[in-house]
Amino acid sequence: MKLDMHCEMILNEYREKLPVFEKMKGVVLDLLRTCLKEKGILVSGLEARVKTEQSLAGKLELKGYKYHTLENVTDVVGARIITYYSDEVDIISALAEKLFDVDWDNSVDKRKMLEIDRFGYLSLHYVCRIPETLYKDPETPQINHIPFELQMRSTLQHVWANMYHDIGYKSDVEIPIEYQRNMTRLAGMLELADEQFCRIRKEINGYRRTVQSMVANGNLDEVPLNGDTFRSFLKMRPFKRLAEKIAAINQGEVYEDNLMPYYKVLLAMNMKTIGDIVRMCNEYSEGAYQLALLQLAGTGLDIVTYSVAVQNLCIVFILKKGFGEAGLVKLFDALYGPNEYHKQRAKRIYGQAQKINLI
Amino acid sequence: MWQPNNKAMKNNNNMNVTINKQDEKTLVVLDGRIDSTNADQFQQDVAPLMEGDNPDIEFDCSGMTYTSSQGLRVFLLLQKSVVARNGKMVLRDMNPRVKEVFDITGFSNIITIV
Repeated sequence: MKLDMHCEMILNEYREKLPVFEKMKGVVLDLLRTCLKEKGILVSGLEARVKTEQSLAGKLELKGYKYHTLENVTDVVGARIITYYSDEVDIISALAEKLFDVDWDNSVDKRKMLEIDRFGYLSLHYVCRIPETLYKDPETPQINHIPFELQMRSTLQHVWANMYHDIGYKSDVEIPIEYQRNMTRLAGMLELADEQFCRIRKEINGYRRTVQSMVANGNLDEVPLNGDTFRSFLKMRPFKRLAEKIAAINQGEVYEDNLMPYYKVLLAMNMKTIGDIVRMCNEYSEGAYQLALLQLAGTGLDIVTYSVAVQNLCIVFILKKGFGEAGLVKLFDALYGPNEYHKQRAKRIYGQAQKINLI
Repeated sequence: MWQPNNKAMKNNNNMNVTINKQDEKTLVVLDGRIDSTNADQFQQDVAPLMEGDNPDIEFDCSGMTYTSSQGLRVFLLLQKSVVARNGKMVLRDMNPRVKEVFDITGFSNIITIV
Protein backbone atom coordinates (compact mmCIF):
# COMPACT_ATOMS: atom_id res chain seq x y z
CA MET A 1 0.00 0.00 0.00
CA LYS A 2 1.49 3.35 -1.05
CA LEU A 3 0.56 6.39 1.02
CA ASP A 4 1.44 10.00 0.39
CA MET A 5 3.62 11.93 2.83
CA HIS A 6 0.67 13.48 4.63
CA CYS A 7 -0.89 10.09 5.29
CA GLU A 8 2.47 8.66 6.37
CA MET A 9 2.72 11.44 8.96
CA ILE A 10 -0.69 10.50 10.32
CA LEU A 11 0.38 6.86 10.41
CA ASN A 12 3.58 7.79 12.31
CA GLU A 13 1.52 9.72 14.83
CA TYR A 14 -0.64 6.60 15.26
CA ARG A 15 2.43 4.43 15.96
CA GLU A 16 3.68 6.88 18.59
CA LYS A 17 0.34 7.10 20.33
CA LEU A 18 -0.54 3.41 20.17
CA PRO A 19 0.19 2.78 23.90
CA VAL A 20 -2.11 5.69 24.80
CA PHE A 21 -4.84 4.30 22.53
CA GLU A 22 -4.51 0.88 24.18
CA LYS A 23 -4.77 2.44 27.61
CA MET A 24 -7.73 4.52 26.51
CA LYS A 25 -9.51 1.42 25.20
CA GLY A 26 -9.27 -0.11 28.68
CA VAL A 27 -10.47 3.10 30.34
CA VAL A 28 -13.49 3.36 28.04
CA LEU A 29 -14.39 -0.29 28.64
CA ASP A 30 -14.08 0.11 32.42
CA LEU A 31 -16.18 3.27 32.45
CA LEU A 32 -18.93 1.67 30.38
CA ARG A 33 -18.86 -1.57 32.37
CA THR A 34 -19.09 0.30 35.68
CA CYS A 35 -21.89 2.54 34.45
CA LEU A 36 -23.98 -0.39 33.14
CA LYS A 37 -23.44 -2.28 36.38
CA GLU A 38 -24.42 0.71 38.52
CA LYS A 39 -27.60 1.22 36.50
CA GLY A 40 -28.35 -2.51 36.55
CA ILE A 41 -28.53 -2.71 32.76
CA LEU A 42 -27.81 -6.08 31.18
CA VAL A 43 -26.43 -6.00 27.69
CA SER A 44 -25.73 -8.71 25.18
CA GLY A 45 -22.21 -7.50 24.47
CA LEU A 46 -19.66 -4.85 25.38
CA GLU A 47 -16.43 -4.66 23.43
CA ALA A 48 -13.69 -2.25 22.47
CA ARG A 49 -10.77 -2.24 20.08
CA VAL A 50 -7.96 -0.07 18.77
CA LYS A 51 -7.91 0.21 14.98
CA THR A 52 -5.08 -1.84 13.53
CA GLU A 53 -2.33 -0.08 11.58
CA GLN A 54 -3.38 -1.98 8.47
CA SER A 55 -6.98 -0.89 8.81
CA LEU A 56 -5.97 2.74 9.39
CA ALA A 57 -3.63 2.66 6.40
CA GLY A 58 -6.49 1.31 4.28
CA LYS A 59 -8.75 4.11 5.43
CA LEU A 60 -6.07 6.74 4.70
CA GLU A 61 -5.46 5.29 1.28
CA LEU A 62 -9.13 5.67 0.43
CA LYS A 63 -9.98 8.96 2.14
CA GLY A 64 -6.72 10.39 3.43
CA TYR A 65 -7.57 13.81 1.94
CA LYS A 66 -10.35 14.15 4.56
CA TYR A 67 -8.03 13.97 7.56
CA HIS A 68 -5.78 16.85 8.55
CA THR A 69 -4.45 15.14 11.66
CA LEU A 70 -4.90 11.79 13.35
CA GLU A 71 -7.45 13.41 15.65
CA ASN A 72 -9.77 13.76 12.66
CA VAL A 73 -9.92 9.95 12.46
CA THR A 74 -12.53 9.55 15.17
CA ASP A 75 -12.65 5.77 15.36
CA VAL A 76 -9.04 4.86 16.14
CA VAL A 77 -10.42 3.79 19.50
CA GLY A 78 -13.84 2.23 19.21
CA ALA A 79 -16.28 0.69 21.65
CA ARG A 80 -19.53 -1.10 21.03
CA ILE A 81 -22.50 -1.86 23.21
CA ILE A 82 -24.89 -4.51 21.92
CA THR A 83 -28.28 -4.45 23.61
CA TYR A 84 -30.79 -7.28 23.69
CA TYR A 85 -33.64 -5.14 22.39
CA SER A 86 -33.68 -2.34 19.84
CA ASP A 87 -35.58 0.02 22.16
CA GLU A 88 -32.75 -0.27 24.69
CA VAL A 89 -30.38 1.49 22.30
CA ASP A 90 -31.98 4.82 23.24
CA ILE A 91 -31.52 4.05 26.96
CA ILE A 92 -27.86 3.31 26.38
CA SER A 93 -27.38 6.41 24.27
CA ALA A 94 -28.92 8.56 27.03
CA LEU A 95 -26.41 7.06 29.46
CA ALA A 96 -23.54 7.70 27.05
CA GLU A 97 -24.62 11.33 26.68
CA LYS A 98 -24.48 11.79 30.44
CA LEU A 99 -21.19 9.96 30.76
CA PHE A 100 -19.13 11.39 27.89
CA ASP A 101 -18.77 14.62 25.95
CA VAL A 102 -20.50 13.84 22.67
CA ASP A 103 -19.28 15.51 19.49
CA TRP A 104 -22.66 15.98 17.83
CA ASP A 105 -21.24 17.23 14.54
CA ASN A 106 -19.52 13.90 13.96
CA SER A 107 -22.12 11.58 15.52
CA VAL A 108 -24.63 9.78 13.34
CA ASP A 109 -27.85 7.93 13.93
CA LYS A 110 -27.81 5.47 11.07
CA ARG A 111 -31.26 4.33 12.13
CA LYS A 112 -32.62 7.65 10.86
CA MET A 113 -30.54 7.81 7.72
CA LEU A 114 -32.42 5.17 5.79
CA GLU A 115 -35.34 6.14 3.56
CA ILE A 116 -38.71 4.73 4.60
CA ASP A 117 -38.58 2.16 1.83
CA ARG A 118 -35.00 1.05 2.53
CA PHE A 119 -33.67 -1.55 4.94
CA GLY A 120 -30.09 -2.06 6.01
CA TYR A 121 -27.54 -0.98 8.56
CA LEU A 122 -29.15 0.36 11.72
CA SER A 123 -26.83 1.56 14.44
CA LEU A 124 -26.17 4.62 16.51
CA HIS A 125 -22.64 6.03 16.37
CA TYR A 126 -21.45 8.67 18.81
CA VAL A 127 -18.07 10.33 18.68
CA CYS A 128 -17.15 10.99 22.29
CA ARG A 129 -14.42 12.26 24.57
CA ILE A 130 -13.80 11.32 28.17
CA PRO A 131 -14.38 14.38 30.39
CA GLU A 132 -11.81 15.11 33.07
CA THR A 133 -14.56 14.98 35.67
CA LEU A 134 -14.97 11.31 34.86
CA TYR A 135 -11.38 10.22 34.42
CA LYS A 136 -8.08 12.00 34.80
CA ASP A 137 -4.58 10.61 34.58
CA PRO A 138 -1.68 13.11 34.83
CA GLU A 139 0.58 10.65 33.00
CA THR A 140 -1.68 10.46 29.95
CA PRO A 141 -3.70 13.69 29.78
CA GLN A 142 -4.22 13.06 26.03
CA ILE A 143 -6.88 10.51 26.95
CA ASN A 144 -9.27 13.38 27.66
CA HIS A 145 -8.73 14.91 24.21
CA ILE A 146 -8.61 11.92 21.88
CA PRO A 147 -12.01 11.15 20.35
CA PHE A 148 -13.40 7.62 20.27
CA GLU A 149 -16.38 6.10 18.54
CA LEU A 150 -19.14 4.44 20.50
CA GLN A 151 -21.45 2.20 18.51
CA MET A 152 -24.79 1.18 20.01
CA ARG A 153 -27.03 -1.37 18.40
CA SER A 154 -29.36 -4.26 19.17
CA THR A 155 -28.36 -7.91 18.92
CA LEU A 156 -30.24 -8.37 15.66
CA GLN A 157 -28.81 -5.14 14.21
CA HIS A 158 -25.42 -6.54 15.18
CA VAL A 159 -26.18 -9.85 13.47
CA TRP A 160 -27.04 -8.06 10.25
CA ALA A 161 -23.96 -5.82 10.41
CA ASN A 162 -21.71 -8.82 11.11
CA MET A 163 -23.12 -10.92 8.30
CA TYR A 164 -22.96 -7.99 5.91
CA HIS A 165 -19.37 -7.35 6.88
CA ASP A 166 -18.50 -11.03 6.53
CA ILE A 167 -19.84 -11.06 3.00
CA GLY A 168 -17.13 -8.50 2.32
CA TYR A 169 -18.85 -5.34 1.15
CA LYS A 170 -18.53 -1.96 2.76
CA SER A 171 -21.65 -0.49 1.17
CA ASP A 172 -24.70 -1.88 -0.56
CA VAL A 173 -23.76 0.02 -3.73
CA GLU A 174 -20.98 -2.53 -4.28
CA ILE A 175 -23.24 -5.56 -3.91
CA PRO A 176 -24.18 -7.15 -7.23
CA ILE A 177 -27.75 -6.18 -8.00
CA GLU A 178 -28.99 -9.78 -7.97
CA TYR A 179 -27.99 -10.11 -4.28
CA GLN A 180 -29.07 -6.66 -3.13
CA ARG A 181 -32.74 -7.60 -3.02
CA ASN A 182 -32.05 -10.66 -0.82
CA MET A 183 -29.90 -8.65 1.59
CA THR A 184 -32.63 -6.01 1.83
CA ARG A 185 -35.27 -8.65 2.51
CA LEU A 186 -33.15 -10.06 5.34
CA ALA A 187 -32.61 -6.60 6.80
CA GLY A 188 -36.36 -5.99 6.77
CA MET A 189 -37.04 -9.34 8.40
CA LEU A 190 -34.53 -8.71 11.20
CA GLU A 191 -35.94 -5.22 11.79
CA LEU A 192 -39.40 -6.70 12.09
CA ALA A 193 -38.14 -9.44 14.43
CA ASP A 194 -36.42 -6.79 16.58
CA GLU A 195 -39.70 -4.90 16.86
CA GLN A 196 -41.63 -8.08 17.71
CA PHE A 197 -39.18 -9.04 20.47
CA CYS A 198 -39.65 -5.57 22.00
CA ARG A 199 -43.43 -5.93 21.82
CA ILE A 200 -43.42 -9.43 23.36
CA ARG A 201 -41.15 -8.30 26.20
CA LYS A 202 -43.41 -5.31 26.92
CA GLU A 203 -46.49 -7.54 27.01
CA ILE A 204 -44.84 -10.08 29.33
CA ASN A 205 -43.70 -7.30 31.65
CA GLY A 206 -47.23 -5.89 31.63
CA TYR A 207 -48.62 -9.33 32.49
CA ARG A 208 -46.15 -9.70 35.36
CA ARG A 209 -47.10 -6.30 36.76
CA THR A 210 -50.80 -7.18 36.59
CA VAL A 211 -50.22 -10.49 38.34
CA GLN A 212 -48.07 -8.87 41.02
CA SER A 213 -50.79 -6.35 41.76
CA MET A 214 -53.45 -9.12 41.85
CA VAL A 215 -51.32 -11.08 44.33
CA ALA A 216 -50.70 -7.96 46.41
CA ASN A 217 -54.40 -7.07 46.40
CA GLY A 218 -55.35 -10.51 47.61
CA ASN A 219 -57.42 -11.59 44.58
CA LEU A 220 -55.65 -14.90 44.85
CA ASP A 221 -58.37 -17.14 43.41
CA GLU A 222 -58.13 -15.14 40.21
CA VAL A 223 -54.37 -15.61 39.94
CA PRO A 224 -53.46 -18.71 37.93
CA LEU A 225 -50.54 -20.71 39.27
CA ASN A 226 -47.54 -20.39 36.98
CA GLY A 227 -43.84 -19.72 37.39
CA ASP A 228 -44.30 -15.94 37.44
CA THR A 229 -47.23 -15.88 39.86
CA PHE A 230 -45.58 -18.37 42.21
CA ARG A 231 -42.43 -16.25 42.27
CA SER A 232 -44.49 -13.13 43.07
CA PHE A 233 -46.40 -15.03 45.73
CA LEU A 234 -43.17 -16.19 47.39
CA LYS A 235 -42.14 -12.55 47.80
CA MET A 236 -45.01 -12.25 50.29
CA ARG A 237 -43.26 -14.94 52.35
CA PRO A 238 -46.41 -17.03 52.78
CA PHE A 239 -44.73 -19.90 54.67
CA LYS A 240 -42.67 -17.74 57.03
CA ARG A 241 -44.87 -18.18 60.08
CA LEU A 242 -45.00 -21.95 59.75
CA ALA A 243 -41.24 -22.23 59.15
CA GLU A 244 -40.49 -20.08 62.18
CA LYS A 245 -42.91 -22.10 64.32
CA ILE A 246 -41.15 -25.31 63.24
CA ALA A 247 -37.71 -23.81 63.97
CA ALA A 248 -38.94 -22.73 67.41
CA ILE A 249 -39.45 -26.38 68.40
CA ASN A 250 -35.74 -26.41 69.27
CA GLN A 251 -35.33 -22.62 69.63
CA GLY A 252 -33.65 -22.73 66.26
CA GLU A 253 -33.21 -20.64 63.14
CA VAL A 254 -34.62 -20.80 59.63
CA TYR A 255 -32.22 -21.02 56.70
CA GLU A 256 -33.69 -19.26 53.67
CA ASP A 257 -33.62 -21.59 50.70
CA ASN A 258 -35.22 -21.53 47.28
CA LEU A 259 -38.83 -22.71 47.11
CA MET A 260 -39.14 -22.65 43.32
CA PRO A 261 -38.56 -26.44 43.06
CA TYR A 262 -41.96 -26.78 44.76
CA TYR A 263 -43.72 -25.01 41.89
CA LYS A 264 -43.92 -28.16 39.76
CA VAL A 265 -44.87 -30.24 42.78
CA LEU A 266 -47.79 -27.93 43.56
CA LEU A 267 -48.90 -28.10 39.93
CA ALA A 268 -48.77 -31.90 40.13
CA MET A 269 -50.89 -31.66 43.28
CA ASN A 270 -53.53 -30.06 41.08
CA MET A 271 -53.17 -26.55 42.48
CA LYS A 272 -54.69 -24.26 39.86
CA THR A 273 -54.48 -20.86 41.50
CA ILE A 274 -52.45 -19.10 44.17
CA GLY A 275 -55.67 -19.18 46.19
CA ASP A 276 -55.44 -23.00 46.24
CA ILE A 277 -52.00 -22.76 47.87
CA VAL A 278 -53.27 -20.29 50.46
CA ARG A 279 -56.14 -22.66 51.29
CA MET A 280 -53.69 -25.54 51.68
CA CYS A 281 -51.62 -23.36 53.98
CA ASN A 282 -54.64 -22.40 56.10
CA GLU A 283 -56.08 -25.90 56.32
CA TYR A 284 -52.94 -27.94 56.86
CA SER A 285 -50.46 -25.70 58.71
CA GLU A 286 -51.37 -27.19 62.07
CA GLY A 287 -50.91 -30.73 60.74
CA ALA A 288 -47.59 -29.75 59.16
CA TYR A 289 -46.46 -28.31 62.48
CA GLN A 290 -47.59 -31.37 64.46
CA LEU A 291 -45.62 -33.62 62.10
CA ALA A 292 -42.51 -31.46 62.55
CA LEU A 293 -43.03 -31.47 66.32
CA LEU A 294 -43.09 -35.26 66.38
CA GLN A 295 -39.97 -35.45 64.21
CA LEU A 296 -37.88 -32.69 65.77
CA ALA A 297 -38.79 -32.47 69.45
CA GLY A 298 -35.95 -33.68 71.63
CA THR A 299 -33.47 -33.93 68.76
CA GLY A 300 -31.76 -30.61 69.51
CA LEU A 301 -31.73 -29.89 65.77
CA ASP A 302 -31.84 -26.11 65.86
CA ILE A 303 -31.67 -25.24 62.18
CA VAL A 304 -34.33 -25.93 59.56
CA THR A 305 -34.77 -24.72 56.01
CA TYR A 306 -37.62 -22.45 54.93
CA SER A 307 -38.69 -25.19 52.53
CA VAL A 308 -39.36 -27.61 55.36
CA ALA A 309 -42.66 -25.73 55.89
CA VAL A 310 -43.82 -26.35 52.30
CA GLN A 311 -42.45 -29.88 52.40
CA ASN A 312 -44.57 -30.73 55.46
CA LEU A 313 -47.61 -28.94 54.02
CA CYS A 314 -47.36 -31.05 50.87
CA ILE A 315 -46.97 -34.22 52.95
CA VAL A 316 -50.08 -33.45 55.01
CA PHE A 317 -52.05 -32.44 51.91
CA ILE A 318 -51.17 -35.74 50.19
CA LEU A 319 -52.07 -37.82 53.23
CA LYS A 320 -55.32 -35.92 53.91
CA LYS A 321 -56.37 -36.38 50.29
CA GLY A 322 -55.90 -40.13 50.68
CA PHE A 323 -52.92 -40.60 48.35
CA GLY A 324 -51.08 -42.54 51.06
CA GLU A 325 -47.51 -43.78 50.91
CA ALA A 326 -47.57 -43.97 47.12
CA GLY A 327 -48.43 -40.26 46.99
CA LEU A 328 -45.51 -39.46 49.27
CA VAL A 329 -43.12 -41.49 47.12
CA LYS A 330 -44.32 -39.50 44.11
CA LEU A 331 -43.68 -36.26 45.99
CA PHE A 332 -40.12 -37.26 46.93
CA ASP A 333 -39.42 -38.60 43.44
CA ALA A 334 -40.58 -35.29 41.97
CA LEU A 335 -38.38 -33.31 44.33
CA TYR A 336 -35.20 -35.35 44.37
CA GLY A 337 -35.49 -37.79 41.47
CA PRO A 338 -36.44 -41.47 41.81
CA ASN A 339 -34.75 -43.34 44.67
CA GLU A 340 -35.55 -46.59 46.45
CA TYR A 341 -35.08 -44.84 49.79
CA HIS A 342 -38.23 -42.80 49.19
CA LYS A 343 -40.43 -45.83 49.94
CA GLN A 344 -38.74 -46.20 53.29
CA ARG A 345 -39.16 -42.51 54.04
CA ALA A 346 -42.81 -42.56 52.96
CA LYS A 347 -43.49 -45.55 55.21
CA ARG A 348 -41.84 -43.84 58.17
CA ILE A 349 -43.82 -40.63 57.68
CA TYR A 350 -47.06 -42.55 57.19
CA GLY A 351 -46.47 -44.22 60.56
CA GLN A 352 -45.74 -40.87 62.19
CA ALA A 353 -48.91 -39.38 60.69
CA GLN A 354 -50.96 -42.23 62.14
CA LYS A 355 -49.45 -41.59 65.57
CA ILE A 356 -50.64 -38.00 65.62
CA ASN A 357 -53.99 -38.83 64.03
CA LEU A 358 -53.33 -36.99 60.81
CA ILE A 359 -54.89 -39.91 59.00
CA MET B 1 -11.56 -46.38 41.40
CA TRP B 2 -10.32 -43.95 43.99
CA GLN B 3 -6.59 -43.87 44.53
CA PRO B 4 -5.29 -42.69 47.87
CA ASN B 5 -3.38 -39.81 46.29
CA ASN B 6 -2.76 -36.85 48.50
CA LYS B 7 -4.54 -38.64 51.31
CA ALA B 8 -5.14 -36.84 54.57
CA MET B 9 -6.76 -38.49 57.53
CA LYS B 10 -7.94 -36.74 60.67
CA ASN B 11 -8.97 -38.61 63.72
CA ASN B 12 -11.30 -36.47 65.79
CA ASN B 13 -13.29 -37.35 68.80
CA ASN B 14 -15.57 -40.15 67.44
CA MET B 15 -15.06 -38.97 63.88
CA ASN B 16 -12.60 -39.72 61.11
CA VAL B 17 -12.33 -37.48 58.08
CA THR B 18 -10.28 -38.80 55.18
CA ILE B 19 -9.71 -36.59 52.17
CA ASN B 20 -8.55 -38.17 48.92
CA LYS B 21 -7.75 -35.88 46.04
CA GLN B 22 -7.57 -37.25 42.55
CA ASP B 23 -7.28 -34.91 39.58
CA GLU B 24 -10.28 -32.62 39.69
CA LYS B 25 -12.27 -34.71 42.14
CA THR B 26 -12.14 -34.88 45.92
CA LEU B 27 -13.52 -37.81 47.89
CA VAL B 28 -14.14 -37.24 51.56
CA VAL B 29 -14.78 -40.34 53.65
CA LEU B 30 -16.64 -39.69 56.87
CA ASP B 31 -16.56 -42.25 59.62
CA GLY B 32 -18.33 -41.84 62.96
CA ARG B 33 -20.63 -39.15 64.36
CA ILE B 34 -20.54 -35.38 64.06
CA ASP B 35 -21.79 -33.67 67.19
CA SER B 36 -21.09 -30.70 69.44
CA THR B 37 -17.83 -32.25 70.66
CA ASN B 38 -16.18 -32.43 67.24
CA ALA B 39 -18.13 -30.17 64.85
CA ASP B 40 -15.50 -27.40 65.10
CA GLN B 41 -12.78 -29.88 64.27
CA PHE B 42 -14.87 -31.22 61.38
CA GLN B 43 -15.13 -27.68 60.04
CA GLN B 44 -11.36 -27.26 60.27
CA ASP B 45 -10.82 -30.61 58.56
CA VAL B 46 -12.93 -29.65 55.55
CA ALA B 47 -11.65 -26.04 55.43
CA PRO B 48 -9.15 -26.87 52.62
CA LEU B 49 -12.16 -27.80 50.46
CA MET B 50 -13.28 -24.17 50.56
CA GLU B 51 -10.51 -23.13 48.21
CA GLY B 52 -10.04 -23.49 44.47
CA ASP B 53 -12.24 -23.14 41.40
CA ASN B 54 -14.92 -25.55 40.16
CA PRO B 55 -14.63 -27.99 43.05
CA ASP B 56 -16.10 -31.44 42.62
CA ILE B 57 -16.55 -32.95 46.07
CA GLU B 58 -18.08 -36.27 46.97
CA PHE B 59 -18.71 -37.31 50.57
CA ASP B 60 -18.81 -41.01 51.29
CA CYS B 61 -21.21 -41.05 54.24
CA SER B 62 -21.55 -44.84 54.57
CA GLY B 63 -19.60 -44.79 57.84
CA MET B 64 -21.29 -41.71 59.25
CA THR B 65 -23.55 -42.61 62.14
CA TYR B 66 -25.06 -39.25 63.14
CA THR B 67 -24.91 -35.52 62.55
CA SER B 68 -26.10 -32.79 64.86
CA SER B 69 -27.19 -29.36 63.64
CA GLN B 70 -23.58 -28.19 64.05
CA GLY B 71 -22.63 -30.76 61.43
CA LEU B 72 -25.48 -29.60 59.21
CA ARG B 73 -24.15 -26.05 59.43
CA VAL B 74 -20.71 -27.20 58.29
CA PHE B 75 -22.26 -28.99 55.30
CA LEU B 76 -24.27 -25.84 54.55
CA LEU B 77 -21.20 -23.62 54.75
CA LEU B 78 -19.31 -25.92 52.43
CA GLN B 79 -22.24 -26.19 50.02
CA LYS B 80 -22.51 -22.39 49.76
CA SER B 81 -18.78 -22.11 49.17
CA VAL B 82 -18.89 -24.82 46.48
CA VAL B 83 -21.85 -23.21 44.68
CA ALA B 84 -20.15 -19.80 44.78
CA ARG B 85 -17.18 -21.39 43.01
CA ASN B 86 -19.35 -23.07 40.34
CA GLY B 87 -18.63 -26.49 41.74
CA LYS B 88 -20.68 -29.43 42.90
CA MET B 89 -20.98 -31.36 46.13
CA VAL B 90 -22.68 -34.68 46.65
CA LEU B 91 -23.28 -36.76 49.77
CA ARG B 92 -23.65 -40.44 49.02
CA ASP B 93 -24.40 -43.74 50.73
CA MET B 94 -25.90 -42.12 53.78
CA ASN B 95 -27.52 -44.48 56.23
CA PRO B 96 -31.29 -43.97 56.70
CA ARG B 97 -30.97 -42.68 60.28
CA VAL B 98 -28.61 -39.92 59.21
CA LYS B 99 -30.68 -39.25 56.11
CA GLU B 100 -33.67 -38.69 58.37
CA VAL B 101 -31.86 -35.78 60.02
CA PHE B 102 -31.44 -34.15 56.62
CA ASP B 103 -35.08 -34.89 55.73
CA ILE B 104 -36.78 -33.52 58.84
CA THR B 105 -34.71 -30.33 58.84
CA GLY B 106 -35.28 -29.73 55.12
CA PHE B 107 -31.57 -30.07 54.37
CA SER B 108 -32.39 -32.73 51.78
CA ASN B 109 -33.87 -29.83 49.79
CA ILE B 110 -30.60 -27.92 49.61
CA ILE B 111 -27.90 -30.58 49.62
CA THR B 112 -27.63 -33.24 46.94
CA ILE B 113 -27.85 -36.68 48.53
CA VAL B 114 -27.60 -39.79 46.39
